[in-house]
Amino acid sequence: MESGLAVVDKVGGRSTLTRCFAKYPLKLISPTKVGSCKSDVVWVYMVSFGGGMVSGDHVSCAMSVGDDCTAVLTTQASTKVYRAVDSKSSDQSLQVRVGCNALVAVLPHPVTCFATAKYKQKQVFSVSRSSSLVVVDWVTSGRYECGEKWAFNSYNSTNHIISNEDQQPLLLDSLVLEQGSSMKGTYGMQDYQVIAMIILLGHKFEHVQNEIQEKVKKKMSEEFGMRLTSKRQHDRDMKPDLTYGRSRPELIASCSTFGPKDAGLVIRVAATTTGLVYKFLKEHLASLEPLLGASPYY
Amino acid sequence: MDNKTMQSASEDHNLQWNQWQLLDSILPTGGFAHSYGLEAAVQTRLVSDPDTLETHITHILENTGSLLLPYVYKATISPNMETWFELDRTLNATLTNEKSRRASIAQGSALLRVGASVFTEIPFLKNMRELALKSDKIKVHHAPVFGVICGVLGFGHGFSQRAYMFLTLRDMISASTRLNLVGPMGGAALHHRVAKSAEGLVKRWMDRPVEEACQTGPLLDVVQGCHGYLFTRLFCS
Repeated sequence: MESGLAVVDKVGGRSTLTRCFAKYPLKLISPTKVGSCKSDVVWVYMVSFGGGMVSGDHVSCAMSVGDDCTAVLTTQASTKVYRAVDSKSSDQSLQVRVGCNALVAVLPHPVTCFATAKYKQKQVFSVSRSSSLVVVDWVTSGRYECGEKWAFNSYNSTNHIISNEDQQPLLLDSLVLEQGSSMKGTYGMQDYQVIAMIILLGHKFEHVQNEIQEKVKKKMSEEFGMRLTSKRQHDRDMKPDLTYGRSRPELIASCSTFGPKDAGLVIRVAATTTGLVYKFLKEHLASLEPLLGASPYY
Repeated sequence: MDNKTMQSASEDHNLQWNQWQLLDSILPTGGFAHSYGLEAAVQTRLVSDPDTLETHITHILENTGSLLLPYVYKATISPNMETWFELDRTLNATLTNEKSRRASIAQGSALLRVGASVFTEIPFLKNMRELALKSDKIKVHHAPVFGVICGVLGFGHGFSQRAYMFLTLRDMISASTRLNLVGPMGGAALHHRVAKSAEGLVKRWMDRPVEEACQTGPLLDVVQGCHGYLFTRLFCS
C-alpha cells in the first residue's frame, strides 16, 4: 500500500495535479504559486511529520507524470533520519513514471542521518525516449557541525532509470555505506562531508548538460593545472610528500555520460560543506529556471 | 594411487598451468594502461604518502568487491551466452563512471581476444568474440568475461572471485610503481601486506547476487571521474 500518490496530467492544456494522496508519516503539498503564472509546472513537496524519518518508518510514494507535462518533486528541508531504535531501519521508496515529452525534476534537500541511524531509499524512474529527467540525490555526513561525521550505521541509496519502450536499464546506481567495511570510521570520505549525484537525461537538458560539462572541466582542470610556486620538503620519517604542500580541493566534481548515444549525464560531487554543494547546484542548475518556473536551489 | 585418483590429480595440475597463465602479468590484456583512479587520487591529494596509498588501494579493492564480484560469480557459475549478454548489459548500466566503463570495455575486449586465441580447446570463447564483433549491443565488459573464462576452463567461483581481486591488486601495485609512489621492492612488500585485507574483502563480498552489486567508495568514484581533467597523465584511466 502506497503512502503517497501524485498524478499529473494535461487538463485544459496545462500540467495539473489530478490526484494527490498521502498518509502518515508522509504528507504531499502542492502550492499553486511556486513559479510565475506563465510557467506550466506542478510543484509537489514531500514533507514528513516531525521533520524526519523515525526508526521503523516505511514510506513509499508513486508519481505519474503524463505526456507533455512538467513536474517538480522536492522537499521543504533536509530529510533527517533519526537514530535507529532496536536496529530498525527507516526506508523510503519512490516510483516515477515519466510520459512522452514530459519533464520531471526531483530536487530534494540532502539526507542527513544522525549517529547510529539506518536508512535505505530506492528510486525507480521509468522514462520514454522523449522524456526529460533531472534527479539530485545527496547525503551529508550527519550533524557534522556537532561532531557527528559519517556516524550513521548504514545508508543505502539506489537509483534506477528504466526505458518504458523496452524495459532495458539505462542507469543502475546503488551506494551502500555500512559500518564494518574496510573504510572504517568515515567510509573513506576523509575530510569531505557531503556526497552528491546529479543525473540529467533527455533532449530538454542537452544545453544544460553541455554547459555543466564545460564548466566542471574548466574548474577541475584549473585545480589540477595549478603551477607549483614552491615545493616544500617534508621530513617525516623519510616519507615523501607528494602534495608538495598543496591542500585538498574543498569541492571535487566530475561528469560522466551514460546511456544510448550518451544521452544522459551523471555529475558526482564531493565537498567539505553542504553550503558548497548548494552553491554548485544553484550555479549549474540555474538555467533550468525557465523550464521549472522557479530556481531549484536558491 | 589408483588410475582415477591419478587422472584427477593430473587434471588439477593442468588446471593450475591455465590458472597461472591467466593471472600472469605477461598475458597481453592491457591491464597496465589503467590506474584505477590512482593517478587522479594523487593529483587531488587524496594519496600523498605510502600510508594513504595503502588505504586507497584497500578502498578500491573493497569497491571492486562490492560492485564487480557479483558479476564474476554469476558468470563463473553460468558461463553461457544468455547469462553473459544479461550481465554485460546490466554492468554497462551500472558502471555510470565513464572512465571505469571504458576501462572495463577495453580490458574485457582484450581479455576475450586473448582467451579465444589462447584457449583454442574451448570454441565457446571464439563464438563469444565473433558475436561481440557483430553486435554493438554487447560491450564486452571485463568482469563478466573474466568470470566466463574461469567458468569454461573449469575453475571454481572461489578461485575466479579471488583471482579477480588479485588482478586488481596486481594492476594497482604496478600503477603505483610507474607513478613513482613506491619502488619495485616496496611495491612487492605492499602487495603482500594488502593481500591479507584483500582476502577479508573477498570473504565479505563473494557469492552475492548481481541485484546486490553496489558502490561503497563514493569519493573514489568522484575522483576517478576527474582523470580526464588531469594536466598531465600517464594512464588511460
